Amino acid sequence: MNLLSALVVAVIFGSGTFLLLQRDLTRVVVGIILISNAAVLFIISSGLLRGAAPIYPLEGGGLSGEGVADPLVQAMALTALIIGFALAALILVFIYRVYASQGTMDLEEIADSEMRDAQSLDRADDPEREEVPEEKQDGETDDPEEETRARR
Amino acid sequence: MSAPELLVMLPVGVPWLLAVALALLDGRKWWVGAFAVAGLSVSFVSLFALAFEVVGGETVTVVLGGWPEGVGISLRADALGVVFALVSVFVILAAMLYEVFLGVRWSAFPALVLLVAAGLSGLFLTGDAFNFYVFFEISMTASFILTGYREEDYQVRGAFIFAVVNLLGSVIFLIGVASLYTITGSLDMEVIAERTDALETGPVLVVATIIFAAFFLKLGLFPFHFWLPAVYVGSHASVAAILSGALANIGSYGLLRFGADILPRELGIGAVVVMAFGAASIVYGALQAVSRRDASEVMAYSAIGQVGYILVALAIGGPVGYAAAVLYSVVNSLNKGVVFLAAGLRGPLVGAAFAVGAFSIAGVPPAAGFLGKLAVFKAAIEGEGGLVGATLVVLVFVGGAFSFLYSFQIYQRRYLRPGGSSHDPEADADLVKATPGSAPARVLVFALALAILAIGVYPEPLVGACRAAAEAIIGGGP
Repeated sequence: MNLLSALVVAVIFGSGTFLLLQRDLTRVVVGIILISNAAVLFIISSGLLRGAAPIYPLEGGGLSGEGVADPLVQAMALTALIIGFALAALILVFIYRVYASQGTMDLEEIADSEMRDAQSLDRADDPEREEVPEEKQDGETDDPEEETRARR
Repeated sequence: MSAPELLVMLPVGVPWLLAVALALLDGRKWWVGAFAVAGLSVSFVSLFALAFEVVGGETVTVVLGGWPEGVGISLRADALGVVFALVSVFVILAAMLYEVFLGVRWSAFPALVLLVAAGLSGLFLTGDAFNFYVFFEISMTASFILTGYREEDYQVRGAFIFAVVNLLGSVIFLIGVASLYTITGSLDMEVIAERTDALETGPVLVVATIIFAAFFLKLGLFPFHFWLPAVYVGSHASVAAILSGALANIGSYGLLRFGADILPRELGIGAVVVMAFGAASIVYGALQAVSRRDASEVMAYSAIGQVGYILVALAIGGPVGYAAAVLYSVVNSLNKGVVFLAAGLRGPLVGAAFAVGAFSIAGVPPAAGFLGKLAVFKAAIEGEGGLVGATLVVLVFVGGAFSFLYSFQIYQRRYLRPGGSSHDPEADADLVKATPGSAPARVLVFALALAILAIGVYPEPLVGACRAAAEAIIGGGP
């Protein structure tokens, strides 16, 4: 059982990491979700290993913790699951927002537009270059392009 | 419930409940912001009162839900947690006040700031490893959203990077907590500390490595730093102050609590590695900061360098080393708060405040930063004799010289330009963003800078509190 759960956690974590390193943002999000679920499985399997379940001795209840599943890891798994779910929703909102402004989900294309942003910022930042009229025109022609991309 | 127990509950409870209430209101109205400031003030004052209770070495424990101790989840305040909570809530309070003066632009902003404060005070005051995770997810989630404040494209991108990287760090930490539970059978920090001491080093060392890696990622230490500049540079001034002045404390507190307090033996084994990471961070952060032009970019890289000093102090260990690590974290978050807040404004008062913050980072004597540098020096000389100590002293000195260089560079670029700020396009862009009625905000930033100077002139209370925190680490652990 331990070996099986270790294998399952390893496979899920590994595929999550693989997806996390992809260029497509949706895959990155799916990767993060897989990794957080691997952690949840890991928590559950930490209840499998050994010893009695830590159950508060109820008067006359007769529950000693022998032969029952550990309730604490399940409570932890539930909490972690909910936190992971909320964060997955939040990150999906972020990539939707990125998609709405950049019109793409590809990390390299986003990085390209980021570079353009940074360059136009640099131009605005540099007082010596700004006095050269050519550069200024460049900056102006850049802007409408970006605006159309944003609208798309 | 006795008075000290109430003091432990208030800093967590008040901002939390208020956050839920304010989330329903429109945060752009000034009175909603005023409520948030009031809630944070209550939190700050009760932490301040709590500090007097715990500074003598006592711990105040509250077990929630009416369970006996050892069964229920506990909030536990000792000097270490209270010092960190106090400085973090102080920086958050200043940032909130600053934003209220400038005009809040987002209806959710006050509620989110309160949630960050509630999560942070919760994690600094909790005695339960899993609750630590839950509280830091509360503050992290709120800060992911805060990073996107103003909704510029680059800010949303920064928020996405921040969320993905830190979520990975959180998951790694969660795996670490689950492994701690597996090997010790408990989630209570004190019990974990006792039981790991009786175990063999092998498995505990693996768990310690997992947990340390998670906190290195949160701190933005050198090989784990890649996300940090993108997030800090894009963020709005008050958000950047919260991120680097309050939220970054999670990493240094986590290393002190889980490393020095709970797993001291494993920290001792890994001290060389921790020290190497710290040294690499100092050098890398200083070199990158010197080569950058934009003030917030310089400060972002300087943040990477500054956490290196905390790591070095932590690796030296012992009462002197831990006290130096706590002192450096406190002073560093105050510095970063002032510098990032000042970077969003213009004017002579703000220029003076920025100069104080920047020179405090460099460690120039009248400012508080000098204390931090001095403490690390002292720890390096007393804690590590011979060649290692000498190397560390040289390293800290060289790092300090670099930070002096970049501090002076950005001060010169921003505030000493010929012709004043009106010819600076970047300054103009910022001035357009700032509302005209920002005079109180400038005074606030200046007052913060004066506070840094005051701590530097009269350091006894802070140094005493940090020594108490170090004693809490050593006395609390086995």
